[in-house]
Amino acid sequence: MIHAASLLLSLVGFALSLLAMARHQQEWLGRKLPSAHGRALRRSGFLLLALAFIVTSIGPGWAYGAVSWFGWLTMAAAMVVTANANHERFLRKVRQ
Amino acid sequence: MAWLHTWAGLVLGWLMFVIFLFGTASYFQLEISRWMRPELRGGEVTDMALDAAARFLTARAPGAGRWSLSLPSGRGNEAMLVSWEPREGSEGDVGEAPLDPLTGQVVALRDTRGGEFLYTFHYQLHYMEWWLGRYLVIVAALAMLVALLSGIITHKKIFADFFLLRFGKGQRSWLDAHNVTGVLALPFHLMITYTGLVTLMFMAMPWAINASFPDRDALYGASSPAALNREASGNTAPSLPFSGLLDRARVAGDGFDPGYITIRNPGDAAAVAEIWPQNSRLVTRGRPIYLDGVTGTPLFAPSSRGAAAATQDVKIALHAGRFSLPVLRWLYFLSGVGGTLMITTGLVLWTVKRRAKLPDPARPHFGFRLVERLNIGVIGGAPAGISVYFLANRLLPLHLGHHADWEVNSLFIAWGALIVWTIARPAKRAWIEALTVCAILFGMVPVVNALTTARGFIPSLIARDWVFASFDGTMLAMSAACAFAAWKTASHKPRSASRGEARAFVEVAL
Repeated sequence: MIHAASLLLSLVGFALSLLAMARHQQEWLGRKLPSAHGRALRRSGFLLLALAFIVTSIGPGWAYGAVSWFGWLTMAAAMVVTANANHERFLRKVRQ
Repeated sequence: MAWLHTWAGLVLGWLMFVIFLFGTASYFQLEISRWMRPELRGGEVTDMALDAAARFLTARAPGAGRWSLSLPSGRGNEAMLVSWEPREGSEGDVGEAPLDPLTGQVVALRDTRGGEFLYTFHYQLHYMEWWLGRYLVIVAALAMLVALLSGIITHKKIFADFFLLRFGKGQRSWLDAHNVTGVLALPFHLMITYTGLVTLMFMAMPWAINASFPDRDALYGASSPAALNREASGNTAPSLPFSGLLDRARVAGDGFDPGYITIRNPGDAAAVAEIWPQNSRLVTRGRPIYLDGVTGTPLFAPSSRGAAAATQDVKIALHAGRFSLPVLRWLYFLSGVGGTLMITTGLVLWTVKRRAKLPDPARPHFGFRLVERLNIGVIGGAPAGISVYFLANRLLPLHLGHHADWEVNSLFIAWGALIVWTIARPAKRAWIEALTVCAILFGMVPVVNALTTARGFIPSLIARDWVFASFDGTMLAMSAACAFAAWKTASHKPRSASRGEARAFVEVAL
């Protein structure tokens, strides 16, 4: 349960930081967001990643939690990268 | 800095690949050991088995100086292993025997080194003196650390391009893949390389010991408290049964999970039981609990090992991940896969980058050919060797002498054969064939397992034997990954240089 929450928080966190980058805004949204929006997205992304650390450490303690957290960060980032590498296919599916 | 990253990464890159590959597999070394001993049914240790172990030791080694009993961990790796040693200065033999953890009966297990070989190989190599292997690994780990730190600087766009992976763009795609596998698990890569050096630090940096201690034994004596021992009294008194001693240890230490028990002078009035915990904690390496062998009362606990030793323990625990529960173990494993892929893409990138600049691509110079051949032979050959190691476990006749040695030899014979084969083939064909061989061999492991034991994939699923089912599943996933890579290589059409040149021409003209 905690693992799923940790993965989900990291996934959303990285997705927000992805959307905070101008290059990826163009790919996913078709336009560039104002830089204030980008900053807000990046901040909330990092906030969610920090939250993931707290959630992961509930129960096993922060020592074990930190090791788990780094693992989930890697997995979540890998998923976001995979999704981003296939963004054209993704968007085509969504539009249909 | 770029040249440092290139050459630190290249020269020992193949050794790093092998260390990462075998080390990653070692996160499941107990599960691999269990798969490689199919005679053994896992399960919780029963009191009946503990009593049977004591009876076995009483009958087999009545006057022994010490009896030891190694309990399988929750991961169910091994048999319950009993061993005995004679008293100092007295006649008697040293021996050990595997017992079934459910019944306590002696089980006949096939002779195998199991996952322990993959683990040992990743820091000590094979077919050479142990110290030479370890020094080679130390040099490779140092080069890895240099390559990682210089890589962060060389590939300085890894954070700006954090999410960037573009397929089908030749060299650009290899660079993306190298950056992404590097940066996504960067905390793991740094941690594993640094803590790996810590595990071998007394060999890497012996001078600190020489400066402070007359010799190595003095260091060990100072850093680990002496075991508690009592002289045998000569009066006989029945020792408590194993189950009673273990229960008392669980009570004496809060949340104590016993993994190993030794009784010194069993059957004597001065018997002492020394009980070690399982390797299940991150922060502290467990310290033993001492109990009076006859009454079971706790004896004084030796002092702790001090802050420096505790720091070293945590680093080693972090490296080996023995404390991790299944989910974290898989995360460790997948991060290790990421590291292995980072090294793979780095090595391939070296050739991709230089192939375009070769004066005559049909006849590359010696250095290029050497790197290309080593890439194919090591990246394709080592996984093939591992799969053959598993196949040999099932296929070599059980009555064969030195069964365990021949399993290991099979690994290197298969690997060597693949190197010889691929050297004789054109590079692209060699990649396709090596990857196809890997796919076939990994795919054969579950099939051969199902044919030679009663513990195939489907029966294991039905019996909810997750270790066996996951092992076979992982082999199938490896097979699929190798097949996919072979198919990708086969269907890859290098974009002709002329097209790129033509486009550049047009752009200039416009």
